[in-house]
Amino acid sequence: MKNIVIGRYVPGKGFLYTLDPRTKIIALLLLMAGTFIIDELIHMVVAIAMIGIILLIGKISIRRVYLGLRPLLFLLIFTFAFQILFNTQGELLYEMPLYYSPLTIGLVALVVVTWMLTKKYIRFKLIYFLIMVALSLFIFSTLNEPFVFGQGAFTVYEDALQMALFIMLRLIIIVTLSTILTITTKPTDLNLGLESVLKPLKIVRVNTEEIAMIISIALRYIPTLLDEANKIMLAQASRGVDFQEGKLKEKVMQIVSLLVPMFIISFKRSDELANAMEARSFVPGQPRTRLHQLVWKTLDTLVIIFAIGFLFGSIYIRVMV
Amino acid sequence: METIIEIKDLTFGYSSDQEVLKNINLSINKGEWITILGHNGSGKSTLSKLLIGLLKARNGTIRVDGLLLDENTVYDIRKKIGIVFQNPDNQFVGVTVRDDIAFGLENLQIEREEMIERIDSFSKKVDMFEYLNKEPQQLSGGQKQRVAIAGILAMETDVIIFDEATSMLDPKGRRKIMEYMRKLNEEGTTIITITHDMKEAVESDRIVVLKDGKILKTDTSTNVLNDKATLEQSNLELLLPLELLYYLNENHVDRKELKDYLWQLSLSE
Repeated sequence: MKNIVIGRYVPGKGFLYTLDPRTKIIALLLLMAGTFIIDELIHMVVAIAMIGIILLIGKISIRRVYLGLRPLLFLLIFTFAFQILFNTQGELLYEMPLYYSPLTIGLVALVVVTWMLTKKYIRFKLIYFLIMVALSLFIFSTLNEPFVFGQGAFTVYEDALQMALFIMLRLIIIVTLSTILTITTKPTDLNLGLESVLKPLKIVRVNTEEIAMIISIALRYIPTLLDEANKIMLAQASRGVDFQEGKLKEKVMQIVSLLVPMFIISFKRSDELANAMEARSFVPGQPRTRLHQLVWKTLDTLVIIFAIGFLFGSIYIRVMV
Repeated sequence: METIIEIKDLTFGYSSDQEVLKNINLSINKGEWITILGHNGSGKSTLSKLLIGLLKARNGTIRVDGLLLDENTVYDIRKKIGIVFQNPDNQFVGVTVRDDIAFGLENLQIEREEMIERIDSFSKKVDMFEYLNKEPQQLSGGQKQRVAIAGILAMETDVIIFDEATSMLDPKGRRKIMEYMRKLNEEGTTIITITHDMKEAVESDRIVVLKDGKILKTDTSTNVLNDKATLEQSNLELLLPLELLYYLNENHVDRKELKDYLWQLSLSE
């Protein structure tokens, strides 16, 4: 559990590491907004190439970025499938007839059952799954005899493809950018940066300092609580709870047996922590001096100018061209 | 001698029908090392929380350095008294050792340059200078507790309370913490140790024995430790050397009897 890769700081060198966290946060927002405004494929490709260059100059390994993107795979496939299935605008690109009859439905059910039974033993699950999906489609599209039930069609429209592609690219860009931010910025610096970026919210009476304090304590206690969760899991395992196997109902019971002690311990902890903080003269809402201070450099100004340039460039292209 | 803490007729209870502390009267001198000795549930930790205003007394008064503890003075009083708590994990506020020592200083609104200076000098004092950039997960319990001490020291309080600060540590970590207590006391800091372990009490100047929220006896360490009747009454575990001392005081024994008694003691441990 300690090896959570997404959103993890990776020590390294390069210009991205020396940037002020405020710069990185603001630039991230500007670049994200820019990519949402772009609506031409060719410009999108330019944006992606630009991010590639940032990765290269910043000496960030592509593998790290890929690891950040991996959890997104499901979402990407889902949006892609959703667009293909339901977006019916633009030119019709491809049409495949589908025949529903007792025979085809029965055969597809058989395929599904085979998949369920055999997936345990197959190593390349994703490829196997795709083969099974293709097989089902093949069955649906060819066997229209006997007992004709009805007929539908699997269609792909131009807009659907384009939309799906854009959503995918945008998601990839956003996640890549935020991965760059998190792997080059220590959580504490990120917190500091967020606090000062959010400072304008003070006008609407949002206490940004308190929020920053809460985040920094959360960051401090995540590893401690993970340790604790491990200990409780071991303790429960020694009493016979098996966290690996079991049906849904048993799983729920297992989670309860983990969560209840976790909650009680956390409350006790926070009580003691609050005492310790107060004993060290912490008064919520009072001004405090800071050990860590952010230093703005020329490079930061340049990066911000570049990001603003990118945003206005994409607005200009969208409106004028 | 100058008095730094004066407690008068202090009574406290968490609910109205119960009294955790009853009529406590105690004055603590500047530069003194005093131990509050009591069994579990004797109210000794409650007393430390009352001293820095984490809890509000039902009756009685507390004066710290002449200042009467109330809603207005509580923050000033917390600048005079620091507490090292029992659980090293639950008082580590910063993400790194440096941040944790800085936490109290930030609250006191110390300037950054001064802060850096103090962090360096006080982390050296508890031998944690090389660990300034480490995270709490990378430290042992004893090291975390030393960071907590440095955090309090950096705030330059007049009084430091050690509230069972060594009870979760291994013998080595405990010895180290005891060493710092001694050193600090020699340098003039008033130290209050709260414990149920007589070993910690032995070195202090005075011992207050607490039982069920009442003070059983307040006297110099030597006198309290010689007082068998009080200690037996206090539900505390006696130290082996003390038991031997009492035995020798009461009986004129020859060698064989002494040998037998020692065997008996060591077996009952």
